[in-house]
Amino acid sequence: MDAILEVKDLTKQYDGFTLDHVSFTVPKGCIMGLVGENGAGKSTTIKAALGLIRPDAGGAAFWGRNLADAPELKEQVGVVFDGLSFYETLTPEKMGNVLRAAYRQWDDGLYKEYMQRFDLPFDKEFKGFSKGMKAKMAIAAALAHRPRFLVLDEATSGLDPVMRDDMLDVFLDFVQDEEHGILMSSHITTDLEKVADYITFIHEGRVLFCKPKDELRYRWGILRCGAAVFGQLDPAEMLAWRREEYQYDVLVPDKEAARRRHKDAVVDDATIDDILLLYVKGEKGK
Amino acid sequence: MKSLLLKDLYNISHNAKSMLFILAMIALIIVPTSGAPTYTISCSILCAMMIMTTFTFDEASGWTAYALILPVTRRVVVRAKYAALAVFCTAGSLFGLAVSALVSLCAVGRMTELNSPLVLLAMLPVGWAVAFAMGSMAIPLAYKYGAEHARVLLFAAFMAPAMLVIAVIGVMAVLEVSLSGAAVTALVCASPLAALAWGYVMYRAACRVFEKKEV
Repeated sequence: MDAILEVKDLTKQYDGFTLDHVSFTVPKGCIMGLVGENGAGKSTTIKAALGLIRPDAGGAAFWGRNLADAPELKEQVGVVFDGLSFYETLTPEKMGNVLRAAYRQWDDGLYKEYMQRFDLPFDKEFKGFSKGMKAKMAIAAALAHRPRFLVLDEATSGLDPVMRDDMLDVFLDFVQDEEHGILMSSHITTDLEKVADYITFIHEGRVLFCKPKDELRYRWGILRCGAAVFGQLDPAEMLAWRREEYQYDVLVPDKEAARRRHKDAVVDDATIDDILLLYVKGEKGK
Repeated sequence: MKSLLLKDLYNISHNAKSMLFILAMIALIIVPTSGAPTYTISCSILCAMMIMTTFTFDEASGWTAYALILPVTRRVVVRAKYAALAVFCTAGSLFGLAVSALVSLCAVGRMTELNSPLVLLAMLPVGWAVAFAMGSMAIPLAYKYGAEHARVLLFAAFMAPAMLVIAVIGVMAVLEVSLSGAAVTALVCASPLAALAWGYVMYRAACRVFEKKEV
């Protein structure tokens, strides 16, 4: 498995928050979804990987090298932050001129193509853009220098469902090239369910798991049962659990096995939202 | 670096009209009262302070983080700010000279020695040097404390050397020491070089501050 991005033991301490030995790998041709509640450490992880903040320990390597040591590698990385980083009196045309001067690989034709595809005006100041237009603009700017890797920090959060779906298609097209990859943090876990190949779940600064999405979707499940069944459960089959008003919800690593073992209980498929909620608001298994 | 400079010029061009208006208003106040040389220096300083406005724009839009994902090093980001400062100082001093010359032409016959063409021309390098030296100090302060706090600190930081220069001139006057024409010419010609040397020291300081900065 060739890795584009390898994050290893990334540690950063702030007052009241510690990013604690975060490690994961984004392989070529894959989309890695980064999920977690607000303040879990997703953006801190991304910033540390990009060299915007200095980790206390550990680090991140893009194609085996640190971005600070090899700034030319940034030609190969497109980044979209939450919100547009361009001052409001600029226009897409002016920003295109700025970015053309920055990137050797800048492709004017591709930039204009994305502007048309995303239905963005070329000469309108950003202050007149809606939140969705700003999100699309940031994505167009990130793609127009033909990067091999995209880092998307809540990139689709300002988009309506239709436009989000179009963007997800853009991202899926992007990773059709096996040399490409995407690291995508998002609160909209349904987006990640559609496109991600792997999910890394960060909670309170730590990686709780990093798994193939299909394992979560097709193997993990939510067992819903009463107190009697709950009392008989083997702690080894409980990843996390939560007591609801009339039942227990238990996250299990093998839903088929759980269905066979507990015929009196209901075992549903687990969405990423379900998993996130159980880990964050429930009790962890042993 | 070209892209970063271009971004600052685009941003600041939006304020160009209001800046021209301010400079014109100041010309009406300063040239008749304090003379054209003072106006040229004021013009240069005001334009140099636009570097702080670029920091304000950067902070408002979150540009600094974006600049760091461009294929440049942190040193290049700092260098681009100094390049922008040099452009602003040049524009300011040239504008000051042009307006001063215009006003002086209009006042032909009533021109004092202070507003003579030679003095006006001499103010071009002096104005540039004063503005560049001041702007050079502003950049590390802006990286360290942010644009708004840096403006206040810059005032204090600039007052110290200004007071020192005034004190030296005062002492020279008391001691009845006067500079020869050749010495004055040498000082005028050397002023941009001295400002560049000071700028280099400040650039190194800004690089050190920005290397440690987390955005």
